Amino acid sequence: MSATRSDRPLVAASAPDRLGSEGWRRLRRIVGNWQGLTGLILVLLFFASALFAPVLAPYDPNALDIPARLSGPSWLHFAGTDQLGRDTFSRVLHGGRIALYVAAIGVSTSLAIGLLLGMLAGYGARWLDGLLLLLFDVIRSFPTIVIALAAVALLGPSLNLVLTIIIVTSIPSYARLVRTSTMALRNTEFIIAERSLGVGLGRILWRHILPNVVGPMFILAAMDVPVVVTVEAGLSFLGLGVLPPTASWGSILNEGYLLIRQTPWPIIAGGIPLILATLGFTFLGEALRDILDPRLGQRR
Amino acid sequence: MWSYLLKRLGLSAVIVLSALLVLFLLLHLIPGDPARIALGPRATPEVVARYAEKAHLNEPVLVQFWIYFTNALSGDLGVDVFSERSVAKIVLEDLPSTLILAAAGLLWAALIGIPLGCLSAIRPNSWFDRMTGIISVSTIAIPSFLVAIWSLLVFAVTLRWLPAIGGGESGDLADQVRHLILPAFAVGLGWVGYLARMVRASMLEVMNENYIRAAYAFGLTQRTIVFRYALKVAILPTITLIGIGFSGLLSGAVFAEIIFTRPGVGKLIYDMVMNRNFPVVQGAVLITTAIYVLITLLADLLVAWLDPRVRDSL
Amino acid sequence: MTALLQIRNLDVTFDTARGQVKALRGVSFDVPRGKIVGVVGESGSGKSTVIWAITRLLSANGRIAGGEIRFDGRNLLALTEDEMRAFRGQQASIVFQDPMTSQIPVKSYLQQMLDILYRRKDRRAEKIGHGVAMLRRVGIPDPDQRINQFPHQFSGGMRQRAGIAMALLMNPQLLIADEPTTALDVTMEAQIIHLLRKLQAELQTTILLVSHNLGLIAELCDEIVVMYAGEVMERGDIRSVFARPAHPYTQALIECDPARILERSRRLPTIRGDLQDLPAAPAGCVFASRCPHAFDRCWSEKPAAHVLSDGHDARCHLLDASGVGRGKPPLAAHAGTPSATTNPGSPTRSADPLISVRDLCVSLPGPGGLKALLPGRSAPMIDVLLDVNLDLHVGETLGLVGESGSGKTTLGRTILGLVRARSGSVKLRGRELIGLSEGQFRPLRGNMAMMFQDPIGSLSPRQSVRSLVLEPFDVHRPPGIDRDAMADKLADMVNLPRDLLSRYPHQLSGGQARRVGVARALALEPDLIIADEPTAGLDVSVQGEVLNLMCRLQVEHSLSYLIISHNLPVVRHVSDRLAIMYLGRIVEQGDCEAIFRQPAHPYTEALVKGIPRPDPEQRRILVSIEGEVPSVARRPSGCEFHTRCPYAQDRCRRELPGETVLADGRHVRCHFPLMD
Repeated sequence: MSATRSDRPLVAASAPDRLGSEGWRRLRRIVGNWQGLTGLILVLLFFASALFAPVLAPYDPNALDIPARLSGPSWLHFAGTDQLGRDTFSRVLHGGRIALYVAAIGVSTSLAIGLLLGMLAGYGARWLDGLLLLLFDVIRSFPTIVIALAAVALLGPSLNLVLTIIIVTSIPSYARLVRTSTMALRNTEFIIAERSLGVGLGRILWRHILPNVVGPMFILAAMDVPVVVTVEAGLSFLGLGVLPPTASWGSILNEGYLLIRQTPWPIIAGGIPLILATLGFTFLGEALRDILDPRLGQRR
Repeated sequence: MWSYLLKRLGLSAVIVLSALLVLFLLLHLIPGDPARIALGPRATPEVVARYAEKAHLNEPVLVQFWIYFTNALSGDLGVDVFSERSVAKIVLEDLPSTLILAAAGLLWAALIGIPLGCLSAIRPNSWFDRMTGIISVSTIAIPSFLVAIWSLLVFAVTLRWLPAIGGGESGDLADQVRHLILPAFAVGLGWVGYLARMVRASMLEVMNENYIRAAYAFGLTQRTIVFRYALKVAILPTITLIGIGFSGLLSGAVFAEIIFTRPGVGKLIYDMVMNRNFPVVQGAVLITTAIYVLITLLADLLVAWLDPRVRDSL
Repeated sequence: MTALLQIRNLDVTFDTARGQVKALRGVSFDVPRGKIVGVVGESGSGKSTVIWAITRLLSANGRIAGGEIRFDGRNLLALTEDEMRAFRGQQASIVFQDPMTSQIPVKSYLQQMLDILYRRKDRRAEKIGHGVAMLRRVGIPDPDQRINQFPHQFSGGMRQRAGIAMALLMNPQLLIADEPTTALDVTMEAQIIHLLRKLQAELQTTILLVSHNLGLIAELCDEIVVMYAGEVMERGDIRSVFARPAHPYTQALIECDPARILERSRRLPTIRGDLQDLPAAPAGCVFASRCPHAFDRCWSEKPAAHVLSDGHDARCHLLDASGVGRGKPPLAAHAGTPSATTNPGSPTRSADPLISVRDLCVSLPGPGGLKALLPGRSAPMIDVLLDVNLDLHVGETLGLVGESGSGKTTLGRTILGLVRARSGSVKLRGRELIGLSEGQFRPLRGNMAMMFQDPIGSLSPRQSVRSLVLEPFDVHRPPGIDRDAMADKLADMVNLPRDLLSRYPHQLSGGQARRVGVARALALEPDLIIADEPTAGLDVSVQGEVLNLMCRLQVEHSLSYLIISHNLPVVRHVSDRLAIMYLGRIVEQGDCEAIFRQPAHPYTEALVKGIPRPDPEQRRILVSIEGEVPSVARRPSGCEFHTRCPYAQDRCRRELPGETVLADGRHVRCHFPLMD
């Protein structure tokens, strides 16, 4: 039976809400939640440092300074220098730009394609759904790194290759999520009601399905950024991504790994921003999820 | 039940077949001589010629694929022209080590993560729950290869408590375990948080169900309700997710092997990639994929067996 | 002898996002030993909260703020949690409303029963025997085998029986039943009523029955407690309360129940107004804002309980002054005009039907499991509608009645072109609809509209009411529409306050959302409206509003209605003709009142005579038939009703009856109809 027969006391309909004020309330809830606040700050820090890296970096990231090589943190070099005397701090800042590039393009592209394919799979014919599901399963059956290794074995390392692989392997997660939501919505009364009015497919997808599917997608996107950044860093760490001398957090870690017995600082310096960025987006995603599904906090 | 099994096996076979196809096509779609691409610049002309002959490169592509496919079915994945050893043999030598690492990582993560998630769900929003929440989210966020590198730095290089390199003396179990500790730690750490959150969310959802309230109304004890009613239902989606997430475990294992210089399929693939030896890579990727597909199949079967609703609808 | 359960001045408060809500205020009543006491109330009355208070299983945000609950002399509120655990399941036990969700799906009944019996020191074999015996007692066939089965393997009615069995396992002194028949089909309800009566007689259990269904309470209970908005309005012996209801709310509740009204009237009585949001306890009588007899004192002072006779009291100021309070006119006279005649002003039926359905057959894919997911393989088809013949004339209301699996919703959707038919014909004004493509169908959609069962769920959650109401115009684009004016006009037509136009569906109440559905249906001025369960989820006291609105609109706009419902009493009042469906076939079709007075098909008889009557003097005529509705996937042979028909004969098992026409013009599918 419907909710009118529960034991919870009946509360009448709420006062009208302008949609704008609803948005502000949500924002304040994110900020009020400490997790969300921390996440938001870290994310903003990430964006700022990456965008303004050329301005903030004290040195050119590729500038060699052999006499100063392998030095520890100092006022001259906040994070020390690597084996070629390059300033680690500057390299780290510029590495953020690579991360930002990969995150922005990777997430937005896979989101868009995943959205489209997911809606098609969820709303379209059964055979199409079956075919797409099969496709997603095939893609998902390869561990990402293994695909990357195989592809690099054939094509040689490159950042854009890594980006493409990331996009292709991320699409199934978005598509499955959208597909599940779409399929659930497809049989709800309001979609049937729309069909009974004669509303066409395009309008149904655009006005009625899409807005209801988009929410969890953004949570997924927020949680996906750390994954994407990590994958890029990992592949660059293995030498499969960016080519030297480009600074990426992964390549810094790579060089640091080779120097591990001589100086720990590149590893520490390369790892910290990676952690901060991933933590930031993860906290933000968690805060978003808490806001959209607060009932997980209550219980009997 | 049997028809379900057959269907799933069929689906798995299709996936592995598609993987095979993709790998195969990858090689042939790239412009250039496939043999040269597969073997890289260091291959001498004789090596290239030998490979071309073994792989029947003079035949049409479809025939090549058919030959490879039928050979693969009988376990022959070709021969590594550099070392003259069977590819399948090379891969299978290193496979157990990787599987042990992945299993060890998952095991310790499950032993800690699942109880944590359970206890958090019983007392939501308590200080325990919040603490666990922070720990969980943090461990999920930290990349596993970073954990591997840093634990290498701290425990192996700086403190020298644990070995940094290798898989340990064969035959010496204790030594092998010592070599397993840090890699397994790195592989499993992210999973502690992941499992804890998964179980917590699942349990919370179950505890809100009507049948749990009914169980309270029948006077059952808290312990019975949590462990024998709620957990039984909540564990099902967790198992499915472990199956799906296994590829993440494998990825983590690959990194751990490379960082800790452990023998294993991951290191094998990496070395072969660095040395531009595609045929071995192809075989190794195929086997890895097959293993992953098998694991997801087992997970799904386990869930189907445990959940009587699914059992009966099949 | 003291009562088994004594509740005195019980207060329960919930902490919600809107502040504290006093869900129960000063609730007091007794449950005497060996009796069946019914607590009746509509949504928001707090009747279910009473159950959770007694067993101390309130949600985390609820607490008992005051009062006493004495069970067998002990104050339950003073017990520790361990003592309460001993109490639950053993001395008092609950039968839950929805057997689908209140039984754990992954454990067999055997395992669940063993868990419940954990306190008994018997050996396992003895416990199993006890469980089997209890299942047999509640009427489950082959209990020694079925005890090993899982809930999903039991049908709905059987699950509820199993739930009753589990509640009785420890032989509790008090059995609490929370809306035990609400989730069940009509024919199942009658069976459960018989079962509960039988068990009570055998085991002498005291029963506390909570329900919104007056008929159920009248059929079963010895005493009745009437609740409204968290307070007790009236209580007493059931015959006394029904014969001489003292409180205006009780009177209204009885008057509004469509099953009570014997003479058909087109306007149903209602109670005006809505249940209010009550975060704070009002100073005066909580019913004052909706009571037609309210005067000054009602607003300022809470009425005390005035005793009318032994055990019958009511809280109303009208009972205070002598003489006042007797012989009040029934509430119905204020809300609407009941008349014995059938609907005023309905246009005479024209010769050609508006909708004409012939030999319609519809098959839908069944749940094929995972096979169906593979491309190219489709799931096995299940026949949902078979050989349906139906006529709907201009200006008439046809009631389509059936239980679960009858196919009535599918029939409505097929007429609207939302479901593809396998064979047969559906004609709108002579024009064939089957086989049209969507493009050809679309212009005709303006002529037919649908109102959906779930009022809020059938509205797109992220569209404002205004855009929802105007959407038909966006799709069909008739020229020259002033959107704002049209939205206002539609809102007025359905009595929807204009300021609601800017709200979103989740901000509306059920009744308001339903009116939005009516407005959408009316937008393009259709000839036909198909209403799917128009009163589902609505309290009895407000059902009339929607139905009266629909009737008024029918006269104003010359509409024809196809009303799909399982709620017979409601359908009786609004329909001119009736079609009864069973397992996808129409088994009887004809004039509504004639069918009710004398059903021709045994199934119709079971439906009509199986409705619990809200009149305790009429208990003995309740009829129930055996068995459950068979699954559409496994149809019985011959006449598909023969498995449950009390009059079944050999021929019925072998041969499917064709449609025959009886003397008064109705159509029946039966070899041996109950009349000629």
